Amino acid sequence: MIFPFGRILLLCCALLIACDKPAPDSPSPTVSVVFKHSKLFGDSSAFDRLISEFELGNPGIRVERQTLPSSSDAQHLFYAINFQAKSSAFDVLAVDIIWVAEFARSGWLRDLNHLLPSGELTAFFSGPIRAVTYEGKIFAIPWFIDAGLLYYRKDLLQQYGFSPPETWDQLVHIARTIVGKETELYGFVWQGKQYEGLICNALEYIWSNGGDVLHERRVVLDSASNRQALEFMRDLVVSHRVTPDFVTTDTEETSRRVFGSGRAVFLRNWPYAWNLFQQEGSMVKNKVGVALLPHFPGHRSVSTLGGWQLGINRNSLHPEAAEKLVKFLTSPRAQRALSLAYGFHPTRKSLYRETELLQAQPLLGQLHDIFEQARPRPVTPFYIMISQVLQSEFSAVIAGVKPADMALQSAQTRVEKILAHGD
Amino acid sequence: MATDRRNREERATLFLAPAGITLSAVMLFPAVYILWLSLERRSLIFGTPQFIGFDNYLRLAHDPQFWNALVNTVYFTVVSVQGELVLGLLMALLLRRPFRGRGLLYAIILIPWAIPTVVSARMWEWLYNADFGVLNYLFQARINWLGNPVWALHAAIAMDVWKSTPFVALLLLAGLQSIPRELYHAAAVDGASRWTMFRRITWPALLPLILVVLIFRTIDAFRVFDSIYVLTGGGPGSSTETVSIYAYKLLFQTLEFGYGSAVAVAILMSVALATVVYAWLLRRVSP
Amino acid sequence: MRSAARGLALVLVALYSLAPFLWQIVTSLKPAHELTSLPPLLPSRIEFASYLAIFSDSPLLRAVVNSLIVAGGTTLLALVIGALAGFALARLRVRRRAAILAGVLVVSMFPPIATVSPLFLLLNALGLHDTLLALILTYTTFSLPLAIWLLTNFFRSIPEELYIASRVDGCTPFQSFYRVMLPLASPGLAAAALLVFIFSWNEFLYALSFTATTASRTVPVAIALFPGLHEVPWGDIAAASVVVTLPLLVLAMVFHRRIVDGLTAGAVKG
Repeated sequence: MIFPFGRILLLCCALLIACDKPAPDSPSPTVSVVFKHSKLFGDSSAFDRLISEFELGNPGIRVERQTLPSSSDAQHLFYAINFQAKSSAFDVLAVDIIWVAEFARSGWLRDLNHLLPSGELTAFFSGPIRAVTYEGKIFAIPWFIDAGLLYYRKDLLQQYGFSPPETWDQLVHIARTIVGKETELYGFVWQGKQYEGLICNALEYIWSNGGDVLHERRVVLDSASNRQALEFMRDLVVSHRVTPDFVTTDTEETSRRVFGSGRAVFLRNWPYAWNLFQQEGSMVKNKVGVALLPHFPGHRSVSTLGGWQLGINRNSLHPEAAEKLVKFLTSPRAQRALSLAYGFHPTRKSLYRETELLQAQPLLGQLHDIFEQARPRPVTPFYIMISQVLQSEFSAVIAGVKPADMALQSAQTRVEKILAHGD
Repeated sequence: MATDRRNREERATLFLAPAGITLSAVMLFPAVYILWLSLERRSLIFGTPQFIGFDNYLRLAHDPQFWNALVNTVYFTVVSVQGELVLGLLMALLLRRPFRGRGLLYAIILIPWAIPTVVSARMWEWLYNADFGVLNYLFQARINWLGNPVWALHAAIAMDVWKSTPFVALLLLAGLQSIPRELYHAAAVDGASRWTMFRRITWPALLPLILVVLIFRTIDAFRVFDSIYVLTGGGPGSSTETVSIYAYKLLFQTLEFGYGSAVAVAILMSVALATVVYAWLLRRVSP
Repeated sequence: MRSAARGLALVLVALYSLAPFLWQIVTSLKPAHELTSLPPLLPSRIEFASYLAIFSDSPLLRAVVNSLIVAGGTTLLALVIGALAGFALARLRVRRRAAILAGVLVVSMFPPIATVSPLFLLLNALGLHDTLLALILTYTTFSLPLAIWLLTNFFRSIPEELYIASRVDGCTPFQSFYRVMLPLASPGLAAAALLVFIFSWNEFLYALSFTATTASRTVPVAIALFPGLHEVPWGDIAAASVVVTLPLLVLAMVFHRRIVDGLTAGAVKG
C-alpha cells in the first residue's frame, strides 16, 4: 500500500537531494557576492543586464541575486534570524530606511563612511542621509527613495472650481462639497490599519502641526499640537465624515484600489500608485493630479520618508567586492537604469533634471520637491519599539477606543521607558 | 516469564526508538535554548546579554499588553475550537454513509484546510473588505468587519472555523469508519432510536478521538499567528493581538530575544495547562 | 423526506467550503482593472493572463516540485516512524506510556516563532542550510506528535483479540504489525498521511527562514514572493492559489477511498 509507493518516493528524494547542491565551480579566483533584496516588480532582465555590466567591469567578481518577500516584516524576520546566527551567507543587503540605526547599533552592518566622502553627501537628498547616519558614521548608502504625497481627482476639482488644498481644513472643505454633490464617492482615503503605514500617515499630521515624537532624545509626544493632529485624524472619520470608518483596515493597496476605481476624491499614498492609475483600462486615467500633502495653518507640509538603502553584512567574507557592488548600484548610471526600468525613484538629486528621465516619468519634476521636504521617521535604534507603541496607541484613537490625550500620555510614558532602558 | 517481559519491553523500545531519536535530536537544543534565553536579558540593541533569573517572568505578570493578548487568545481558542468541533462532527456524520459523488464532496470540504494560510488569509482580507469585499456586496451593507474593535476578533474566529473544520471532519470521519457495523445492527434489532444509537454507540466510541482532536486543535488555535497577522496585524487598537503575535513582535521586530522567549514559554505553559484540564474533564465525562 | 433534507445539507456544506475558493477562481479569471469592482460579480470576459504570468515569470513550477519532494518525504518518514511508535504504545507493553505520550505532545506546544531561531542555528551547524532535507527533517519532527497520537488511537481501536490471535499464529510483533495491524489501521494511516502532507505543503515560517534560493523554495514562499514593494498582483495570487490547491484535492480524492471504505473490504472483525 504505502510502502512500494514509499520506496519509489524515497529514491526520488535521495536523487533530488543529492542534486540539490550544485557541483562546485571549477577552481578560479572568482569571488561570489550574494545580494539579498526584495522582489522587483517587473521584468527582471533589465536588472540582470545591469549586473552583467558590473561583472564585466569587475572580472573576478560574480554576483548572485537572492530575492526575499517584499513584506518588510518578513525581511526583518529573515535578517533577525540570520544576523543572530552571525551568518555570512550573504554580503550585500537592501535595508529599509527605518532599520539602519537598529542594525548599525546591533553591529550587523559594516561601516561605510569611506564610501561617501563628505563632498559627495550633498549629491543625495538630505533625508535619507540623515537616516543612514548613526553616531556620525554612514552605515548604508541610499538606493531609492519614497515619500508620502496627495493624489487628487483633478477633473472633479476643476469641475467644482477648486485648486489643490494647502491646509487640512481646505481639504476637508473641498471633500465635503464634492461628496455632497456627487454619489458613491468617499472624500479622503488613507492608510489606518494597525501597522507601520499608520505611523507614516500619522507623522504627516503631527509634523505638519509643528509637533514631533522625539526632540534631541527627549520624548515630546504629549503636546497640545500632537493632540490636535491626532484628534483631526479621528475627526476625519466621525465629525467631518470625509473618511470612511473602514480606514482602520486600509493599507496602501486597498486604499489605492478605492481611489483607482474612481470612488474617492483624495488619496494619501506613495508615488508608486501613479503608474497604476495611468495604466490602460484604469478608471482614473488622466484624471489624477499629485500635490504636496496639506499642513496645519502656520506650519509647513512634511511627508514621511520611505525607501531602501544598500548595506553590507559585517560578517561578509568579501567586503571589498561587496563595496564595489554597492558603489556601482548607487552610481548615477545604475540609478538611472533602474528608474527607467522599474520606476524606482533615485536618491541622487542630479537625476531629477535629466531630460530623458523626465520624459519617461513626467512626475519626477514634482517628486523632487516632495522628496526635498520629506523627513525620516525618528532615527534611533529603538525606532521599531517606539513604532510598536505608537501603532497600538494611534490605532486605538482612530478606531475610537481611546481619546487622543489618553493615548498620547500613555505613549509618552511607554516611549520614555524604552529610551531609559537604552542608556 | 521475566525474560519474556524484558524481551517485550526491549522490542517496544525498538519500535519507539526512531521517534525518540528524531524528536530529541531536533527539539532538545531548541527547547533548552528557549528556556535559557527566557532567563536572560538579551536584546542586541540594549547591549550584552545578562542572566537575570526570573525577572522576565515577573515583568510578564505585570505586562498589560501580555494579559490583553492572553485574553484575546483564550477567547479566540475557546470559541473557534467549539465551533470547529460541532461543525466538524456534523460534517462527518453527514458524509458517513456512501453516496454517489462522495469522493468529490470529500475533496471539496477539505478545500479550506488545503489552501495555504498565506493565501487564505489574504483571501479573507479581501472578502471582508468593507468597500469592495464580496460579503458586504452580498449583504448590501457597509459593515466594517476588520476595522471595528469588536467585530475584528470574531471575523478572525469565523475565518479560523472555516479553515479548520475539515481537519476535525477528516479525523472524525475516519474514526466513524472504525466503529463496527454489527453494533448498530444489533441496536436496531433491539429497537433503539437513532439518537440512542448515537448516544450509546457512536459518542463513546468517538470520545478518545475527539479528545485527540480537541487537544491538537486547542494547541494550534492557541498558537495562531499567520492568519490573524495578515488579516489585522493585531489591530485595530490591539483588539486582535494574540500571544503569538506579541511574541513575534518581541522576537523579530523589537528584537527582545530574552523577554520574547519568556512569552513563548508562557504560551507553552498555558497550552499544557489547557491540555491537562481537557484530559481531566473528558476522563470525568466518558463512561 | 429525510434524504431530501440530507441532500440540502450536503449542498450547503459544499457551498460553505467552496464559496471563498470559487471567488478566488473567479478573481483569477478577471481582467486586471475589474479585480476590485463589484458589480460586476463575474468577469466581463475570461482572461487567462494570470495563469500565463505565474508560470512564465515566476519559479512556481520549481517550487511545486520542491513542495512535492518535501511533503512526500515528510509524509513517508512521519508515517513510518509514527506507525511504529503508535503500534508500540497501543499494543506492546510500555512502561510510562502516558509520560511518553505527554512528552511527545509537548514538542507540538512550542510556538514556531520561538523555535525558528535555534532550529536555524542547529540546521546550519549540520550543514543543511538552504536544502530540502532541512525542511523534511523539521516537518517530520513537528508532524510526529499528531501522527503518533492518531495512530496510537487507531491501533488501539482495533480489537486486541486480533493481535493476540496473530501472535498465537506464530507472528513476531513486527510481523503482526506489518501484516495484520497496518492494513487494519489504514483509515487512520490515510487520514494522518493526508494531514501531514497538507501541513508540509502549506508551512510557511520555517520554509521562509531555512531556504535562500529558488532551488529549495517551496510553494508558500514562492507565493509570498509575488507581491512587489507596494503592488499586490491579486489576479496572479488567485491563479497561483488555485494551481497549488489542486494537487491536494486530487490527493484527497485518492485517499478518500482508504479513509472511508478501508474497513468494509474483507476485514475480519470479532
